[in-house]
Amino acid sequence: MSAEAAADTKTTYNAPSSVGQLGGRALVAGVVALVLCVVGAFVNPAGFWRAYLVGYVFWTGVSVGSLAIIMLHHLSGGGWGVVIRRPLEAAARTLPVMAILFLPIAFAVFTHRLYPWTVPEEADLEIIKHKAIYLNIPFFLGRTVFYFAMWFMLSYFLSKWSLAQDSADDPRERRRLKDRLQNLSGPGILLFGLTVTFAAVDWVMSLEPEWFSTIYGLLIMVGWGLTSLAFAIVTTVVISKDERLAHVYQPRHFHDHGKLLLAFVMLWAYFSFSQFLIIWSGNLPEEIPWYMRRLFGGWGYVAVALVIGHFALPFVLLLSRERKRRARSLVVVALLVLMMRVVDLFWTIAPSVLAMPHHGGGADAAHGGGGMADVVAYVLNFITPIAIGGFWLWWYARELASRPLLPLGDQGLEDALADANGHH
Amino acid sequence: MASRVDEPHDDLIHVTPNPVIEPGHTAASVTDKISALVLKRKTPLAWYIGFFISFSLANVLMFTIAYLVTTGIGIWGNNWPVGWAFDIINFVWWIGIGHAGTLISAILLLLRQEWRTSINRFAEAMTLFAVACAGLFPLLHTGRPWLAYWMLPYPNTMNIYPQFRSPLMWDVFAVSTYASVSALFWYVGLIPDFATLRDRAKNRAFKVVYGMLALGWRGSARHWHRYETAYLLLAGLATPLVLSVHTIVSFDFAVSQLPGWHATIFPPYFVAGAIYAGFAMVLLLTIPLRKFYGLEDFITLRHLRNSAKIMLATGLIVGYGYMMEAFMAWYSASEYEGFMLKNRIWTGPYWWAYALLLITNIIIPQILWSKRARHNTAILFIVSLIISVGMWLERFVIIVTSLHRDFLPSSWAMYRPTIFDWSMFIGTIGLFFTLLLLFIRFLPAISIFEMRTILPGAAPKEEG
Repeated sequence: MSAEAAADTKTTYNAPSSVGQLGGRALVAGVVALVLCVVGAFVNPAGFWRAYLVGYVFWTGVSVGSLAIIMLHHLSGGGWGVVIRRPLEAAARTLPVMAILFLPIAFAVFTHRLYPWTVPEEADLEIIKHKAIYLNIPFFLGRTVFYFAMWFMLSYFLSKWSLAQDSADDPRERRRLKDRLQNLSGPGILLFGLTVTFAAVDWVMSLEPEWFSTIYGLLIMVGWGLTSLAFAIVTTVVISKDERLAHVYQPRHFHDHGKLLLAFVMLWAYFSFSQFLIIWSGNLPEEIPWYMRRLFGGWGYVAVALVIGHFALPFVLLLSRERKRRARSLVVVALLVLMMRVVDLFWTIAPSVLAMPHHGGGADAAHGGGGMADVVAYVLNFITPIAIGGFWLWWYARELASRPLLPLGDQGLEDALADANGHH
Repeated sequence: MASRVDEPHDDLIHVTPNPVIEPGHTAASVTDKISALVLKRKTPLAWYIGFFISFSLANVLMFTIAYLVTTGIGIWGNNWPVGWAFDIINFVWWIGIGHAGTLISAILLLLRQEWRTSINRFAEAMTLFAVACAGLFPLLHTGRPWLAYWMLPYPNTMNIYPQFRSPLMWDVFAVSTYASVSALFWYVGLIPDFATLRDRAKNRAFKVVYGMLALGWRGSARHWHRYETAYLLLAGLATPLVLSVHTIVSFDFAVSQLPGWHATIFPPYFVAGAIYAGFAMVLLLTIPLRKFYGLEDFITLRHLRNSAKIMLATGLIVGYGYMMEAFMAWYSASEYEGFMLKNRIWTGPYWWAYALLLITNIIIPQILWSKRARHNTAILFIVSLIISVGMWLERFVIIVTSLHRDFLPSSWAMYRPTIFDWSMFIGTIGLFFTLLLLFIRFLPAISIFEMRTILPGAAPKEEG
């Protein structure tokens, strides 16, 4: 690429102004949803905290899952990753927002509102006492600080070296930066796996501290990877509406994204089904109640909706080659997947109860007064993702607009932008 | 690709450090070199020595089976409560080894990883022979292999059906499907090469045999068109098998209630372990093969390096599996899980097996992080050997240590393999290498026609 061509592309690959507008609108939607959440929190406080967790885990998943996909791309290469690298990097740079939004959860932990193991009378149970060395408030918060520190570190260097590549004119310098990115990504993936696993145990699994499942970390990892990939697809389709950028994102890129999305959907189904089959077959009293709470009393319908919407439907839709290659039909599947991710987290988090079953908590003491309060609690699960998402998207739009939308210094860029027939 | 070579300013960036095929080869030289292995070259002395040893061991297997069938499975060391031992350990070990072959031939084909081309034929053969060895164990564990058809659901006068909820039953379907699809895939891949050998053979007998195997292949455009479609379809069919077979093998253990077996992570962790062991075996076989037959041009350092990376990644997943099992055994606060963990790691009589497992399967393979180790064939060979032992130990630890201390302390006992456990295991290794050496001698170990397609400038531009 000659110097003038490079200078030319730097101007054309900036984010379209529509990105900033979308960010502003998202912020407005977020504030409105936040007000609704506050109202809901007064009607049903216990329901509110779990609903908040649904939204929180969803959006943290987009940020942290993006890290994993960037690193997978650095390790394996390919044009599919070059064209979504910048949106993924911007998504990872929203981690400060998620760190601040953890404060309400910290408050809920301190005031014993979310996790049964924080409630003194529950913590007396033998089974909880055994885990007190791990499940206690200072260690819990310390671990969360550690996870965020690791994620910040990964996000900081992945973004920094990627930006440095843009201005590096010497090919040797670019090569060196590429090696650095690769060398960080190997151990980075390992770090991602470990931090996400324990974050999954801490934030979600410990809602029912008597329950355990060894595949749980993988299940959350693949869920987060799926969320961030679907989100990157949506971003790409929105950006490619801009005329200057329309030629960048080609059917073959969407084809590859569609294939990856299909692989993630299948992996999620594989992990979920394995967990279900093994626990169902064992039918052990310490494990099966988790599924009992999620398959009876109306929750069974949500489970069926997950089987259909989170697996069967996207699976069938993504089999078609044409549908994967057409941006407009791929984005529909990506949006469906994002919605079902929220439903999956709702199904995972909302049926848990603050009181342990041994203490007669089976009658869902946490959902408060029944009737109206219950409805509010369920609706809140779908408002909190909007509230948190508003702030997240606003920050994301700023980050996205702050850099060129394509990694100008990436060696694979030329190949990625070449027409299918080899022209460049 | 070709046009880029002409652009002077691009050279610095686009040179691949290790190509999939060394420069200087043409379609004719590739065909000559690979077909000569079968048709022209004098069989190396090493082949005869290797064959003598493997065939002797295969005969040990024959004698063991004869004695087993006439006497009964009491000649093995497994007894209550360790009702499953070497027979299942070796079954899982062998079937796991096969998975790398399927991954290379099917998944890497679909992912358009062209470096797979020179090792896929060989790896598929490895799969097939490994599955054959694996199948022997459950078959003979029935004690009456001539009644093995009872495992199939068919209407019979006894009114007995297999238990459809049992993963042992699913195993019958999974493994037999796996064996048939692998065989078909391998054979279909060989057809164009059979035709090449038929056309080049000087010996009348070879001409006739290869001619029949080539099914009248003439290499017309229509033949190729149908061939490509069929091959891609078979690859699509084989892909889920990489996951499903070992997933079902893991269900054999995980759907039970036994601590040490009942763990939800078993399916992905078994699949990763299978690929790990399989790639170790691929390297164990290809490193001597490329050396003795002078195939360094076709099986380059890039193949070895990529295989090493896959081993590193899958090995880390296996390590993650161990970690989660241990963490959750403690976190579960279940008395039985906690006891299993303690017994397995330090208080039980088999603690040494777990310690060895960690050393061989987790600690030593970390050397693969080093680029220099990945480029050193001697280190790769030794690490692969160690991993093969480690993955065998993993199955030993899972099966024996979980069973020998089950819920009822009065039934606790030790398991000690007898000489016939060992002779059967070593015998299958003999059988495996016998088949493999015959394969190298009589069939093209590297796919000739696929190698021609990856020569620079040979392939038409990939569609978008």
